[in-house]
Formats: sequence, C-alpha cells, structure tokens
Amino acid sequence: LIQMATGAESILALTGRRTTGQSIRSQNVTAAVAIANIVKSSLGPVGLDKMLVDDVGDVIITNDGATILKQLEVEHPAAKVLVELAQLQDEEVGDGTTSVVIVAAELLKLGDELIKNKLHPTTVINGYRLACKEAVKYLQENLSFPVEELGRQSLINAAKTSMSSKIIGPDMDFFSEMVVEATELVKVTDSATGKITYPIKAINVLKAHGKSARESMLIKGYALNCTVACQGMPLQIKDAKIACLDFSLQKAKMHLGISVVVDDPVKLEAIRREEFDIVKRRIEKILAAGANVILTSGGIDDLCLKMFTEAGAMGVRRCKKADLKRIAKATGATLTCSLANLEGEETFDATQLGHADEIVQQRISDDELIIIRGTKARTASSIILRGANDTMLDEMERSVHDSLCVVRRVLESGRLVAGGGAVEAALNVYLEAFATTLSSREQLAVAEFAQALLVIPKTLSANAARDSTDLVAKLRAFHHKAQQNSKLSHLKWAGLDLESGEVRDNKEAGIFEPAMSKVKSIKFATEAAITILRIDDLIKLDKEEPRGGDQCGA
Amino acid sequence: PVAQAPSAAKSGKDTNFKDKEKSGSVRNSNIVAAKAVADAVRTSLGPRGMDKMIQSGNGDVTITNDGATILNQMSVIHPTAKMLVELSKAQDIEAGDGTTTVVVIAGALLDAAQKLLVKGIHPTAISESFQRAATQAETILQNMATPIDLSNDEQLVKLATTSLNSKVVSQHSWLLAPMAVNAVKKVLDESRPDNVDLKAIKIIKKMGDTVEESEMIEGALIDQKTMGRGGPTRVEKAKIALIQFQLSAPKTDMENQVIISDYAQMDRALKEERQYLLDLCKQIKKSGCNVLLIQKSILRDAVSELSLHFLAKMKIMVVKDIERDDIEFYSNILGCRPIASADHMVAESLGSADLVEEISTGGDGKVIKVTGIQSSGPAVSILLRGSNKLVLEEADRSLHDALCVIRCLVKKRFLLPGGGAPEMEVACKLREKANERGGAEQYCWRAFADALELVPYTLAENAGLSPIHTVTELRRQHANGHANYGVNVRKGFVTDMKEENVVQPLLVSHNAIKQASECVRSILKIDDIV
Repeated sequence: LIQMATGAESILALTGRRTTGQSIRSQNVTAAVAIANIVKSSLGPVGLDKMLVDDVGDVIITNDGATILKQLEVEHPAAKVLVELAQLQDEEVGDGTTSVVIVAAELLKLGDELIKNKLHPTTVINGYRLACKEAVKYLQENLSFPVEELGRQSLINAAKTSMSSKIIGPDMDFFSEMVVEATELVKVTDSATGKITYPIKAINVLKAHGKSARESMLIKGYALNCTVACQGMPLQIKDAKIACLDFSLQKAKMHLGISVVVDDPVKLEAIRREEFDIVKRRIEKILAAGANVILTSGGIDDLCLKMFTEAGAMGVRRCKKADLKRIAKATGATLTCSLANLEGEETFDATQLGHADEIVQQRISDDELIIIRGTKARTASSIILRGANDTMLDEMERSVHDSLCVVRRVLESGRLVAGGGAVEAALNVYLEAFATTLSSREQLAVAEFAQALLVIPKTLSANAARDSTDLVAKLRAFHHKAQQNSKLSHLKWAGLDLESGEVRDNKEAGIFEPAMSKVKSIKFATEAAITILRIDDLIKLDKEEPRGGDQCGA
Repeated sequence: PVAQAPSAAKSGKDTNFKDKEKSGSVRNSNIVAAKAVADAVRTSLGPRGMDKMIQSGNGDVTITNDGATILNQMSVIHPTAKMLVELSKAQDIEAGDGTTTVVVIAGALLDAAQKLLVKGIHPTAISESFQRAATQAETILQNMATPIDLSNDEQLVKLATTSLNSKVVSQHSWLLAPMAVNAVKKVLDESRPDNVDLKAIKIIKKMGDTVEESEMIEGALIDQKTMGRGGPTRVEKAKIALIQFQLSAPKTDMENQVIISDYAQMDRALKEERQYLLDLCKQIKKSGCNVLLIQKSILRDAVSELSLHFLAKMKIMVVKDIERDDIEFYSNILGCRPIASADHMVAESLGSADLVEEISTGGDGKVIKVTGIQSSGPAVSILLRGSNKLVLEEADRSLHDALCVIRCLVKKRFLLPGGGAPEMEVACKLREKANERGGAEQYCWRAFADALELVPYTLAENAGLSPIHTVTELRRQHANGHANYGVNVRKGFVTDMKEENVVQPLLVSHNAIKQASECVRSILKIDDIV
C-alpha cells in the first residue's frame, strides 16, 4: 500500500521534466522574490529608476513597476504570475504596481519559511486568507477617511503622493494642480443613473519635444495632433461648426465584382467625371449644412480640397478614430460613417454638426497642433507635455497617467488613506494582536502576514538611505499606542517622512493614497501568493518536435 | 528522463516465441507505468490537496487541482498510462467529479494485482474476482447511501461545498456553491428529470476583480461588445432578434461580374447597395426588434459599416459574432427563434426582455447583460471573475465540477458521507464477505479491500496527519458499525462526516469504483505489446 509512492518518478512516461514537493515550492518562491528584488529599489519618493534596453536598442527609463516588469521577458511560470499581478493592478487601479509585487513576494517568502518548518501549506493559505479579510475590514473601518473632510486639497495631495516617486516629482506642485484640473474637466454625469464618472481616457496627453517640464500645459479643450490639409485653408475659425466623418472624401471606387467597361473614349471622360461628382455631391451637402470644419478619419482628395478652400472651411484628414470619437462627444457632433438616410438617399443634416468656440492651428515646438477650444456639449481637456528628450517624455506620460488614475479613484471611491507606510504599519500592529486571539495553527500564518506587510515601510526607508530597523520600530510604537489608547487614536496617521528620516502625522502632511488602491493591492497580492503556494508539482513538457523524431531518446 | 518501461518487453521480443516469462514482464511494466500516473496525481486528492503547475511545450501554464485536467495536460506516452488518462476522462464525462479519486483507486488496485500475480494467481482469476468484488462494493455503497430530496437546498449546497473544498477557490465556496445549486435547478427539465444538460449553463470568464465579484445572472450574458456607431448601449423593453443572415452587400460569384458601361449607372450601383441594406434593416425594424444578435459569418462580413449606420439610426442595438454553437443556447434562454432570412422577421420570433445593457468589466472588457427575460427557457449565465488568468481558469474548472456534482445527484438521488468513509466502509464489508469465498477469490477480495483504503490513507497524508494512525482508527470505527465515519481534515481526526456536512453524491463513488476496476481488468488482460 505504501510503497507505491516511491521510486515511480522515473517511470512516469513523460516528454518533459517533473519537479515535486518542497523543491518546487522553494523554486517558485525564489523566482518570485527575484522579480520583486528587481523593482524593490524603485519604490517610494526616493526610489530610483531603471533603464531598460530591448533587443532593438530602444531605451526606456522608468520607475513604474508594471512597465518594468512588462519589459522583462520573464520565463519562469511562477514569476509570470507576479508580472501578471502587476499588470492587473495597473489596469484596475493604475498605481501601486510596485508595492503589490513586493508584498506578494514577501508573503511567499515568509510562507515558504513556515512550510519548511513543517507547517502544512493549506494552514498557511487559510491563515493568509483570514488575515487578508481582517486587514481589509480594519482598513476600511478605521484607517480610511472620506475626501470631503479635506476637500480639493486632498485630491492635489493624493496626486502629489503618486508623483513624488516619479521623474516629475520636483515639479509636483505644478503637475498635481494640472492633473486634478484635467480630471475635473472630464467629469461625466450619467443622466439616467446620476452616477458620476471620470473617464480619464478622454484626457488627451500629447508629447512635444523641447523646453522644460515646467512648460507643459493644460488645454481646456481638445488638442489634435494633425494639421489642416492644405495651405489655403484658414488656420483659425471662430464659432466652429464641426463635421466628424468616418469615411474618405476621395473619388468613388466601385466595389469588387463591379467592373467598368467602356467602348467609347468619349464615355471614359464622363465616367471619370462621375467618379469625382459622386464625392462632390457629398461635400456640397456637408457644406450646405453649414459645416466650416471637416475632420475625417480617411483621406481627402486634392480636388476636393479645392472645394473646402473656396468655401473657407478647414479640412483635416487622417485623424485618429479615437480622437474623432472624443471630439464628437465633446462638441456634440455625430461621428458619421455614411451620409445615407433612411430613405436610401444621401443627406447631411445640421444636427450632426458639433460646435466649439474656436478652432485654431498652433505651433508648439516643431509640430503644429489643432486645438479645439470651448466645446459645447462637454468640457474636454488635453495635456501637452514638454521635455528634453523622448525617454523623459515617455516616463512623464506614464507618471501623469498614474496620477490621473489616482485622482480618478479618489474622486470615484471618495476615500483616502494616509501614505508613507502608515497603513501597513497599522495593519501589522493590528494583525499581530489579532493573531494572538487565534488558538489554531493559523496564528502563525496570520502573524507572518502581518510581518510581510512591514516590507513596505522597510523598503521605503531603506531606499531613502535611512535606518529601516530604527524607523520601523518607531513607527510601530506609534501605531501600538494609537490602537491601545483611544485618546491617542490620532496617532494612527503616523507614517514615514523620508526626507528627514522621521515619523510624522502623514494625514497632516498631506501624504494620501486612495483607499481602494490599498485594498485591491492587499487582495491581489494575497491571491497571487496563495496561487503559488498551493503548487507542489511542476511538470515542464518539452517543446514538441516539429518532426516526429526519437521521442524516447533520453 | 523518459520511460524505459517497455525495455523488458523488447528483450522478450527477440526470442520470437511466446513464453510465460514475457507475458509476465509485459504485465509488470504496464502496471508500473500506470501506477506512476496514479502516483502523480495522488497529492492533489482531498481538501488539503495541492495544485500542479504544468507548463506545456509552447510555454502556456496551467495551474490546477483537477485530476482530469492534470492528466490531460501531462501528455504521457506509455500506452497503459494513457489508459488511466482515459479513465479519468471517462469519470469526468460521466460524473464530472472524483477524477482524481478514480485514478488513485485504479493505481491501488493495480498495486494489489501485482502482488497477487507474484503469489502465482492467474490474471484471469484476479480479473474476475475483482469484477465480482466491484459488483459487491456497489451494493454496499447503495446500502449505506441515504436518499435525498432535490428540494432540499441546504443539503445540495453542502454537497457543492464539499466538491469545491479541494480547489483554490475554496474560500469562495459560500458564493459558488449556492450559485451552482441554483444554476442546476434552473435548467432542470421537468420532462426529463433524470438528467441535466449542463450546456444550458453558460460560464463567461472575465479577468479583473476577485472571485468574490462573480455573479449568477437571472438572464443571459453575451461575451461581446455592442457595435457602437452611435447605436444604443442600453435598451429597455427590448425585443431581441437572433439572425443567421448577413447584413452586408451581396457578393457576386467569383466568375460573374457586374458590368457598368455608362456613368449614370455608377451612382445607381451605389444607390442599389444602400437600398438593399436599407430594405433589410427596415424589415428588421418593422418586426419591432430593437436588439439584434448576428451569427458569426465566415463567407461574408456579418454586418457592413453601412448597415450598422442604418441600424444605429433606427436605435437598434447590434451584437455580432455570436458563435454558431451558441445559437441554440441563446435562442433557448432569450425565448427567441433563430431567423435565417429577412423574410421571416416577424414579431413572434423575437424574444423580449426588460433590459439589455452593455456593462464594463474593468479594462477593455465588456459584456452584454440581458435581464428580465419573459418566457425564458431553461438556461442561466454565470459571470466569473478572477485576479489572474490562472485563478480564473481554475475557478471555471472548479465551478464545472460543482455543477457536475449536483447533476450526479439529479441522475441518482442518493448521498454518501465524504472524507473516505464510503471507501473504508466498502473495504470493511468486503473483508467480511471475503471469508465466505473460497480459494484465490478470498485473497483477491481482501486485496481489493485493502486497495480501497488508499483513499482515506491519502486524504490523511495530504492533510499532514499520520496516515497509519488515521486509517487504523477509521477501520476500528467502521468495524464498530459507525459507517459514516471519515477523515476529518479540518479537525485532524476521525469523525462522523454526515454531522460535519461533508457529503458526496453516490454516483461519483459508484462510478469511480466501477470504472477503476474495469480499467484494471483490461490492463491485466494485456499480455503482449507489439
């Protein structure tokens, strides 16, 4: 009965390798920790950047966890779980991608230690789940506070916190103001449900070479990275009536399967003219409706350009469809993909036009941009970033995107927590107390979970070249007091000040993070750690040989 | 590191005549290979079982606890090892759960058979004794089972929970178990009470959020986006049409050409196309339809830009690329008839619902949710969420298992206690009965009984308990007539599993023993590999 477990390993007929038991768990954990070590040094306001060079030679300089991990071509399956984790956090929250990976790896490392000390993996897993649930509950009830308490300033502070670690950190006063304003401009209230959303995708972030970061600007309107189709067109139109078209204004071509056969050379000319006339009639209809700005995703023939120029209208070709959709929304235009109406005729109605106060083509650095100001249906916003070189601009774009995500989360969920390791330290103290109330084996796992959370303040202070042991001990002492003595509960906002290397009230100092980001990162990290801890067997199959070959040739 | 198992057989081949030694070694190598497979999945048995991570040749990773999935992904080469893979597949199809158990039992039986062979008992004798023992085991199981009433929801939820306990999603069993029960009950067909068509339960997986956010929809889910183009994304009082024809310009045959020789005809050609599409759209509108589902089409664009434009103007929501296989499901759940030609667009073919709405599932993911369906057929949809692809896929497999377990109960309405209790009970009773038998049969029945004890043994082992201690204690309890005692993994000792609410359907254990013994018999009968 018992012997069958042993010695059968080599007999298992597989075209691949199999690793089982503790060795695979440790191997997985090592891989995960290796991933976390890569991004560790980029955490926090004093975190450093990574330079990544891919096989083509493109350079990326970044501080964003998700971007770093995406660029690494990770092979190990367990490490891939962590990379996916960062990407998930990026999609769901947009910020906190580095910390989620670090926490997950720490959970794995400590869990693996417990298992090596003969605690059963399922006990560890149960403990982690329990701790995660308890932590999230405590965080939501005790450690978060509503935005209304501090008003708009809290939004700016949250944006600043997210920027502080990035390249735009030194100019965060300038950028946080810009980001908050941009987000507020794209506020959408759903007329049916009354729900307010902030589709930050609608904020167009453009990059332009030259000048310095401080010369970046926010445009209350839409900036379109295109130019007018020909020189003769006006470069500025007040009181614009905009037609957004999703088809080309080119000579009509017949469909496949229709061939034009002419046997009389005179008719040839007529056919050519007709090809042009079909478009001409369309343009006439659009102009007759009163349009003076025509944006199209397709092309415009030179012949047609003449018509626009003569009518004094501005024509822009090859706009991106995504841009057109946003412009249509902002100006109240209808994105039209065909002029056909329900009678089978072609018409263009004035109601399909959008309105804006002014459309102007402006020169910014080397490029010309078309800027739409004073859109009628909805406010729009665009950010034009300026910077010395491409890599810097790219990183600025990512940083601004992160901050936009943060501001949006804060606005939508309406709750904040104090940053700078405050939450992690508080949860650590709370969970350790909670662990002692458990009389089962899970106690150990909950305690380790608490320990794992401390990795955030530890890494923060280590990155800032401070004594992490000292600082974290101080920090925990504050939180212990806060949780023991209800009179001292204001101490629960205590977090790290990394500039001076001291503990301070981070709520007062304005270091905020959206509560939702913290909750999600704890949940995601736990789930990822559990997924990996449960594995006790790795079967790696060989690549299938293209030609049959000798498969048993081991 | 690949099998050298058949090498013994090869050396026998050279002698070119059948001798007893050769058939013995073939049998032996078969058994060893099959046992190795059983051993590979043994650690994933039970609530404290672990997961396997399998990386396929092209780098795809699967993390799973499901026996059938593990074996399927492992791509074993040895022919008898493959038989075990097939065995677990068969269990998956028939019962849906217990795919690990069946392989573990088969492995144990093979081990027992090997020892009996050494003793000099003829393979045929073993094989036939095993068959009789299995039949006897079935009777024993039947006797210890308790009938169950399908209206007892609480009992069913417990059952689904037992099946989910061994999976990575076990902490969400409070959510998934009732979900599985409700889903199966919804699709239960009154006219055919002995079976359930699980195809009528559509599970849609979407990345993002955690498993907790999964939900069962009282209505239909469609894993597609609306086509947009200014068309509505939310329709109240919807009239839904499911069409199987295309809304795009008709194509001429390859050889044929439309020939235009006059300029006036050019504009007409364009107009005709518009008119043709417009007529189709008008016909759709006339029937009162305001939500249009279009079947995926390979030959022609299912829907052209122009017709989308028309439909958007008519305020009709358009969803394209409905898979052909799903047509039946959707027509069932939405209560509409698939329409193959525009001429058949009549109001009677449409399904009606209170609300059709496109909802965002985070990131770019979107699904279409149909709620408040009138005259809905027996079909439900489940939206599964998970924080990464691996968890999501495993959640899908686990939910499928839970659904199967409930289905088993519909097929055969009896319950057994879980935690290895039925296996131990069968082992005890068989051992008693063995004494009534004579000759080699007695030996074989004893071996059969011993082999079944591997299930509680493994459960205890995986849970970090002392297997010898647990199994002997369990044996003692069963000898004293406590048939419901099993390994209580959570408490770490032997208790009455029925009181602990750990239950499993009779069909799973029933099938597992039957199929495992059949598989073992066929392996025993092989005496040559060519």
